[in-house]
Amino acid sequence: MRKLRAILMRLFGFLHARRGEDDFAAELEFHVAMHTEDGIRSGLSLEEARRQALIRLGGAEQARQAYRDRRTLPWLESLLRDLQYSMRKLAKHRGATAVAVLSIGLGIGANATIFSMVSRFVLRPAPVGDPSALLALHIGEGGMPFSWPIYNDFRAQEKSFSGVAGYYPLLSASLGGNGEPERVWGQAVTANFFDVIELRMMRGRSFFSSEENEPVIVLGARLWQRRFNSDPAIVGKTVTLSGHLFTVVGVAPVAFHSVDQLYDAQFWVPLGDAGQLAPNFPSQSDRINYWLFTVARLRPGVTRTQAAAELEVLAKGLALTAPEASDGVSVVSKDRTSFTFEQAGTLPSGVQRMAALFLTALSVVVLLVLAIACANVANLLFAQAVERQREMAVRLALGATRGRLQRQMLVESVVLGLGGGVLGVLLSLWATRSLSALQLPIPVPFDFAVEMDWRVLLYAFVLSVASGLLLGVAPAWAAAQPRLANSLKGEDALARPGRRFILRNILVVAQIAMSVVLLTMIGLFVRSLQNAASIDIGIRPQGLLLMSVNPQDHSYTPERTIAFLTQIQQRMAALPQVDAAVWTDRTPLSLASGSGSASIHLDGQEKGTFSNIVTVTPGYFQTLGVPLIAGRDFGNETASGPRTAIVSRAFVDRAFGGKNPIGQHVTCHGDSYEIIGVADNVKQSTEGDYSYRSFYRSLAQTIHRDSAQSDPSKNNSLIGGYTLVVHTKGNPQAVMDSARRQIHALDPSMAIFDEKTMEEYIHSAFFFPRLAATLFGVCGGIGLLLALVGLYGVMSYAVSRRTREIGIRMAMGAQPGTVERLILRQGLVLTLIAVALGWPAAWMLSILASSFLYGIQPHDALIFAVVPLFLSAIALVACWIPARRAATIDPMKALRSE
Amino acid sequence: MGGKTDVWQGTLALMTLKTLETMGPQHGYGLARRIEQTSGDQLQLNYGTLYPALLKLEQEGYIRSRWGTSENNRRAKFYELTKAGERQVKKAAAEWEQATEILARFLTPAEEA
Repeated sequence: MRKLRAILMRLFGFLHARRGEDDFAAELEFHVAMHTEDGIRSGLSLEEARRQALIRLGGAEQARQAYRDRRTLPWLESLLRDLQYSMRKLAKHRGATAVAVLSIGLGIGANATIFSMVSRFVLRPAPVGDPSALLALHIGEGGMPFSWPIYNDFRAQEKSFSGVAGYYPLLSASLGGNGEPERVWGQAVTANFFDVIELRMMRGRSFFSSEENEPVIVLGARLWQRRFNSDPAIVGKTVTLSGHLFTVVGVAPVAFHSVDQLYDAQFWVPLGDAGQLAPNFPSQSDRINYWLFTVARLRPGVTRTQAAAELEVLAKGLALTAPEASDGVSVVSKDRTSFTFEQAGTLPSGVQRMAALFLTALSVVVLLVLAIACANVANLLFAQAVERQREMAVRLALGATRGRLQRQMLVESVVLGLGGGVLGVLLSLWATRSLSALQLPIPVPFDFAVEMDWRVLLYAFVLSVASGLLLGVAPAWAAAQPRLANSLKGEDALARPGRRFILRNILVVAQIAMSVVLLTMIGLFVRSLQNAASIDIGIRPQGLLLMSVNPQDHSYTPERTIAFLTQIQQRMAALPQVDAAVWTDRTPLSLASGSGSASIHLDGQEKGTFSNIVTVTPGYFQTLGVPLIAGRDFGNETASGPRTAIVSRAFVDRAFGGKNPIGQHVTCHGDSYEIIGVADNVKQSTEGDYSYRSFYRSLAQTIHRDSAQSDPSKNNSLIGGYTLVVHTKGNPQAVMDSARRQIHALDPSMAIFDEKTMEEYIHSAFFFPRLAATLFGVCGGIGLLLALVGLYGVMSYAVSRRTREIGIRMAMGAQPGTVERLILRQGLVLTLIAVALGWPAAWMLSILASSFLYGIQPHDALIFAVVPLFLSAIALVACWIPARRAATIDPMKALRSE
Repeated sequence: MGGKTDVWQGTLALMTLKTLETMGPQHGYGLARRIEQTSGDQLQLNYGTLYPALLKLEQEGYIRSRWGTSENNRRAKFYELTKAGERQVKKAAAEWEQATEILARFLTPAEEA
């Protein structure tokens, strides 16, 4: 403590140097005066007395120096002097400094951006009280939620937790009040939820335990700000959600979106009351209806290992899965007989591996970029160090130690590194903002925003200092090298024959090798993007407009929903520009599984699970341009009539072995359907979906059933609503307004969402490959550019250092062509070594990256053949320009030049 | 930076603190003379090193200083003990006594023998 205090005092003294100096001068003055007086009293003359006093003091200047050293921090002072000198030096070489800062800035920026993603998805704890003690509990390895009865049994029996709470992750509702009705997403939570996660409300309070069934609501801060103008008196007011009144009791903090940090909820209501908002809210009695996300807070003193042991025991006692499926829907019961958990707010274990791989690959790429940038700048600094040998020699001759000079060089490069760091952080701020603006192609709101936080800043700072130090090693080494005598005469001590540019050659080789790796990665990703973009989705997107509504948010009965949808369809079709209008509950390429999945039974045999169950209205295939291969389209199916279905070509191949399925019956969700047609393949879930196995049902026959029962595998409210697909003759954008008017003419309170043209929609659906290709491409492009500039710089510098040697060679009779070849050969050897090193590394890395590539081999022969050739060619050009220059050297001038 | 200087640094600090404790507020010159007197003029201080030592004690919070007027009406800087300084005197004195006692045990038997 005392030491720290002393350091702080000295720091203070350092900042107020002037005042202390005067102070001490006065004190010293007094001391000498007193001493002199004493001397006179003992019989000395004034001069003699003063002389004695000064002698005993050990010299006034020495005393002052000793005092100053104690009063301030001498090392800080000299460091600041170094810093000052470095700044002057860097300002003088403005061009080189700009290049260096820009290079490092790009490198650090790329790293900070990727690390922002790491920080967001891996490191950031949930914004709740004591996040390390809050666990998210699941059933089985797949991370399945709890059912209500299991949750209750669990709560009654567990002893490891101080609190257990549950929530239903996504509930859509139509928010009324001032302005146009809007669809918002929220969560239904148990009344103790906020107490268990220990979230402090920004305003108001959380739910009381007695409010499990009360119409109360907690608003998210963003909704409160946007929709209610940050009304300070919001607590106690009522808001209208899907036609029901809720009393606001609190506002949750801005940072809190969902405890899992994945969903993006804007409001919270008690679970008991959520049935009002979603007519088909999952049943609370069904033991095998898994929908309740569960979090639990560890009791103080209980470790995770102890909790895991208790969970294991509890899992045996609780019947987690039913032995047999209830209505023909087989629930896979394998590996679902245990509890699993992770810290709440971390990625679910299923996604973790994928995310880790993706982020690792990206991190490797950006670290490579930074390494290339550093190699570049190191080269530049090294060149400068050679230029500055004379300066160094002079300073050494004047008494500077080599250590002092090395420190000076390191300070200089660290300043460069930090400058680059600042630029990088600015670049990364911009990049993370653009990243967060990207829209996920899922109809449910995921919280994907990436932003800078203190972890990123710390990381950027550490990287800046580290790269600064790394950069400084070569120049610092060079600074300590000069042989005084030679350097003072102006000879280049570093360019002695025999060890010419060894260090620089290593840097160049490293640079090219890293570029090989980088370029290969970019190549693979660009190819992957190309493949993804050229994949045939199976529909004709031109002229299609999409627009969604969710009548269930507005408590429509099935009958009313059907009537509503039919009326809109008729009104739309009557518009002059519109050819056709159809409804579906699931557009192609929608990641989320619309009507859920089910196993299809044929002649009592299970034919596998089909995740693409799509509900459509007649005319759907024609409107979307999907050819009907056999049979007919839906016609005038009725809710009570015999059930019919259309299946995709791939479905037929799988279930019927390619035989004609028309007229056959299949069972899905316990109902028997007659197959009346076969449609061509359409990509339903993602661009990487190659199964194409779709099962189409008619809307008229499903709406009733879906609402009447709550089906464990079917949760319409999770995906929410129906999408109107309109085909127009002209630009679909032009119909948007009249389409809105048609819907609002029927129900002015109906919230309309996800309005876009099919082409826009498909564009956004290629989110992941586009994101990956953009990230890799941008990073790789930066790296490549840096490497090329570096290579050119090194080669031309090498030539310029050898001007005299070349002059001598030419004076001795060497031909320009010979000189050119000499320089070229040197560059070529370096390039070949680099390619030989980089190629295998790229090969290994591409295996890692292959998990994100769609439709191409990780070892794409074309990329692996072209990249080395391309880089060698570039390297040759980079060498050739200086080689040409070398060949035109006039021997007379060259010999006179130094 | 031999061991000798370190010992001196430590003892000078203790001597300073102890003198301030018995004498009350003192200026630098008075303090130096007093230390020499107390030592029976066996010690000859290098006055140049006294001031950095005082500064160190002040930075560590054992003493504080203020400008005042000396006995012959000059402006002088006076040093006085703080609460922490009082505690430190006791602690350091006890430590020092223990150290000398231990050392004495090594030295006395040799005399007896």
